[in-house]
Amino acid sequence: MRQLTVLYDPNCGLCRRVQAWMVLQPAYVEIVFVPVNSEEARCRYPDLNHSLTLTDLTVITDEGAVYFGPKAWIMCLWALRHYRAWSLRLSTPELLPTAKRVISMISQNRYKLEGLGKMLLRDSKAR
Amino acid sequence: MDILVTTYVIYLSISIALTIWVAQTLFKNGRVFLVDVFHGNESLADSVNHLLVVGFYLINFGYISLALKLGYDVRTAREGIEALSWKVGLVLLTLGGMHFFNLLVFSRMRRRSSIRLFDPPVKADGFTTVHGR
Repeated sequence: MRQLTVLYDPNCGLCRRVQAWMVLQPAYVEIVFVPVNSEEARCRYPDLNHSLTLTDLTVITDEGAVYFGPKAWIMCLWALRHYRAWSLRLSTPELLPTAKRVISMISQNRYKLEGLGKMLLRDSKAR
Repeated sequence: MDILVTTYVIYLSISIALTIWVAQTLFKNGRVFLVDVFHGNESLADSVNHLLVVGFYLINFGYISLALKLGYDVRTAREGIEALSWKVGLVLLTLGGMHFFNLLVFSRMRRRSSIRLFDPPVKADGFTTVHGR
């Protein structure tokens, strides 16, 4: 795998800030951000169910493998140099159920969680 | 030569021999790890291996030298052997501790360098066609 495409929601403040943070992180693979349900996304992936991608984070590899929801979050961590170890840790059978629950909770409440995103971005800028 | 000096001489020879043996073991067997850590760069692995072993020697010889003094008089052979056994035991424990610390360093380095080779930890939910591929 050489490239990872992240379909993110530009209407959600948390998503925009996490995206801004991810761009600054060193990565093992090239990460491309495409707004969800956009013209570009439809052109790139003609067979994808785009209304479903509106409900949760979707990540697609250059080979066409689709990861949805909590798995997509784990794939984002996996792509980042400093967080690959975390992706492996979170996907062990002991931690995966909890990780999935927490991630789903954040995803479902993403419009209410803008403050968290602001905090994240401030931290990464201060560093 | 009185018993105390004999004890010191035996202590030094045993400790030095043990240190050299452990360091040689580390030097010989640690190399394979380091070559793997540095992705087959043998000259770099050899250099780091050598530096690690030098540090190992310095710390152990330093400890042996500092721990030499007995602080009490030894009159009989029995007392000499008892004092010797205590001192050599301490050197062995120090060597053991250092050795495991080195192993920990090696395995940490190896894990850190191999993490970039790991495949995605989760299975894809499905496959889709990618335009222009």
